Amino acid sequence: MPAPSPPRELSRLAALLRYEILDTPDESAFDDFTQLASHICDTPIALISLVDDHRQWFKSRLGLDVSETPRGISFCTHTIEGDGLFEVHDAQRDQRFRHNPLVTGEPHIRFYAGAPLTTPDGYNLGTLCVIDRQPRRLSEGQRDALMRLSRQIMRLFEERLQGHRYAEQAALHQALLNSAASAMVLTTADGRISGVNPTAERLFGYSERMLIDRSLTTALFPLDALVRRAAILSDELGETVEPGFAVLIAPLLEGRREMREWRLLHRNGDSVPVLLNVSAIHDEHEQLHGYIVSAYDLAHQENLQLRLQQIAAQVPGLLFQFCWRPDGSSSFPYLSEGLEDIYGLSAAEMAPGIAPIYSRVHLDDRARVLTSIRHAAATLTPWHFEHRIDHPRKGVIWIEARATPMRQADGSVLWHGLVTDITERKAEQTELDKQQEMNRRLLEALSEAVVACDAEGNLTLFNNTARLWHGLDAAQLSPEQWPQYYRLFQADGVTPMPYDQVPLLRALRGERIRNQEMTIVVHGTARHVLANADPMFASDGHQNGAVVVLHDITERKQIEVLQRDFVSTVSHELRTPLTSITASLGLICGEIVGEVPEHLQELLDIAHQNSKRLSALIDDLLDIDKLYAGKMRFEMQRQPLQPLLEQALRSNQGYAESYTVSIELGSCPAVSIEVDTMRLEQVLSNLLSNAAKYSPPGETIELWAETVDDAKVRVSVRDKGPGIADTFRERIFSKFAQADSSDTRQQGGTGLGLAISKELIEHMHGQIGFDSIPGAGACFWFELPCYPPQEAQP
Amino acid sequence: MRPLQRILHVEDVPSIQVVTRIALEKLGGFEVLSCASGQEALARAQRFAPDMILLDVMLPQMGGLELLRQLSSLIDLQHIPIVLLTGQQEEPASPAELRQLGVRKLLRKPFDPLQLATQLKEVWNAEYQ
Repeated sequence: MPAPSPPRELSRLAALLRYEILDTPDESAFDDFTQLASHICDTPIALISLVDDHRQWFKSRLGLDVSETPRGISFCTHTIEGDGLFEVHDAQRDQRFRHNPLVTGEPHIRFYAGAPLTTPDGYNLGTLCVIDRQPRRLSEGQRDALMRLSRQIMRLFEERLQGHRYAEQAALHQALLNSAASAMVLTTADGRISGVNPTAERLFGYSERMLIDRSLTTALFPLDALVRRAAILSDELGETVEPGFAVLIAPLLEGRREMREWRLLHRNGDSVPVLLNVSAIHDEHEQLHGYIVSAYDLAHQENLQLRLQQIAAQVPGLLFQFCWRPDGSSSFPYLSEGLEDIYGLSAAEMAPGIAPIYSRVHLDDRARVLTSIRHAAATLTPWHFEHRIDHPRKGVIWIEARATPMRQADGSVLWHGLVTDITERKAEQTELDKQQEMNRRLLEALSEAVVACDAEGNLTLFNNTARLWHGLDAAQLSPEQWPQYYRLFQADGVTPMPYDQVPLLRALRGERIRNQEMTIVVHGTARHVLANADPMFASDGHQNGAVVVLHDITERKQIEVLQRDFVSTVSHELRTPLTSITASLGLICGEIVGEVPEHLQELLDIAHQNSKRLSALIDDLLDIDKLYAGKMRFEMQRQPLQPLLEQALRSNQGYAESYTVSIELGSCPAVSIEVDTMRLEQVLSNLLSNAAKYSPPGETIELWAETVDDAKVRVSVRDKGPGIADTFRERIFSKFAQADSSDTRQQGGTGLGLAISKELIEHMHGQIGFDSIPGAGACFWFELPCYPPQEAQP
Repeated sequence: MRPLQRILHVEDVPSIQVVTRIALEKLGGFEVLSCASGQEALARAQRFAPDMILLDVMLPQMGGLELLRQLSSLIDLQHIPIVLLTGQQEEPASPAELRQLGVRKLLRKPFDPLQLATQLKEVWNAEYQ
């Protein structure tokens, strides 16, 4: 016995299962065949046997009680593995079967004939077989009949399978119909309703039973709409279309499948907005079977539209959807109620297309509007345009239109947009423009230079004067480049200005700059300017830039120089005669040239003292002039502090004694300082002589030094005089300052001493100051950089 | 030690010249030759043979420093201390230059005529003690 090839056997088993017939109940249709087979072949037993992997199962059996037997001993296995009818004349004499339990025991088989049940694709599922308990042989007619019967059985199997499939498909269709979100109405070819789905029942308010066999158009369509549509279609198709079912199928016959909005009728008379689609149903022979009409409920969409309308009503202006087709025609699928407000057009006046709106565009703007729309449509870029409208009610108004174009599948361009009335804003803008123009003219007319920058440091404004002074206009530069590009120098006119000191940049960093002196040098000519700069702030308080105003002080500087030269010259000229007067009086009063008569002595002393004071005043004037002009030379020398203080004490002791006060030198740290010896002496003399002048008689002036930190030493001079009045504190180091004007005469002195001391100390890299409680004395001090004493002078 | 006796004094302003000479003669007991210009000093210095020279740095035509340079070719200035009178305004030269020209002391105007003789003696004593 050849072993069946396993893959073929698996396919055969799959085919068997496909027919879904194993273990099904008895069926008379199959029993008829076993009856017939038994009768024709004259055998007591006939079976329809199906062979699966381990058994043969009998769909129909005649003359046998068991419903299945194991496959291993089955005769049918041999039939299905062969080809055509298989016959065993006497099993006891057949090597293959003589020991088969079905032969040796019940049902004692001697004869077997099986016709295979072959599927259309060639698989043998089982057999129609006849069995006898005695040996025999079938006639040719009997064999032929058995084969025919087996083929009929197979046909029955096929039908059963098809039946199953149809039932499944029908159930699926029904389920689809039932669950569809759209209402589905099936009609016959002539438009009578043959079925509706539950959605349709719900949408129209009818049960299926109430609609069956009624004309679809009569039942659900309003007549006037049918009549209108029929008229349009007749026109389009060039033949009469009746206002009935034909309205729905006429486009279909033309090959147009269309979705169209209809307002159908609910059972209660309400209008039901739907989107309608009609498809023809053809059977397998291309015979028209009927139509399926699907209606998508638009009520929800209409609700949305209503909401859109409500929203649009809140939007100032006009919302629109505009469609521009390739053939040049256009339409507005949506227009909000702002139409009247913006264009002075009612919905009724809106013909399809853009013409009515276009006619409202101000004549001078039309060409530009059209060009810009075309450009936006061609490039599919958002359209934004401001133009005028001739409004029938409001006159000329300004509008701003924005729209975004989108290319549609059919080549048309769909725009969504918003149009707003900006007449008021335009008016404000115009007013603002006027003001800005005014400001601009003002700026240009100013004799001051004005330069501004934005928050990022980009120069945004150079007025006429600024351009003139710099010989340049605003350029795209980083602030680091400003000083070089715009030729900025410090007040001296030679030192380039470090960029972080440029007034505009300082203002950009939040500072308010007042009267910073600087120089602009163009073509070798220095222009001295005073800069005033301020940060600029936006209305929300954020800094959005800075502005600097430059005031030309070149002329003033020149006058100052002239004045200084004058003072200097005059002082010089005064000094020589004064020196000889003072010296002569000194010699006379010192009785060097002879005894002075007593009655002359007092007058000569007055002349001598005042000529000395005059000399000192002139010297101070010349000093301060030199300091301010930067012409004083300093011979800086590193030297121990203590001897300097001792020298100052010696030099001023005599002066102090003339006021009957003494000077006491207190502690002094062993440090060195780097100073011009004479200039430091000058400062100390000034402080000590001031202290002497303001000390009450008999008091002591304290002079001492102390280190402030490792790098600084402070030298202090304390008196027990009246102290410094609060009102005087701020002016004390300025020129010609004395506690009050009567002091000058009372105390002697020029009022320049402290101003000179301050300049001198600062030139030697120090600081000067004072502490004072009015009425309790004053303590003047200066601080200078100090060094360890052992350090040699560099 | 030889005492300071002969002083060559160069000063163009007559009034100051007179006051200075009187102060030096009366207070110091010196013999003073006053010259009104550099040229005069050049012409008379060699014969006068001064112990010390006191001169104003601001002289017309020939400045005090120029005078010193020319004078050094006529007489040996090495042992003649020089005292320079300067106004507050002038910075004649750097200390090094001044030292090189033999300047021992710088007196700022206005000087106190009563102190002048003492100051010159101090310079002299510092030189020869």
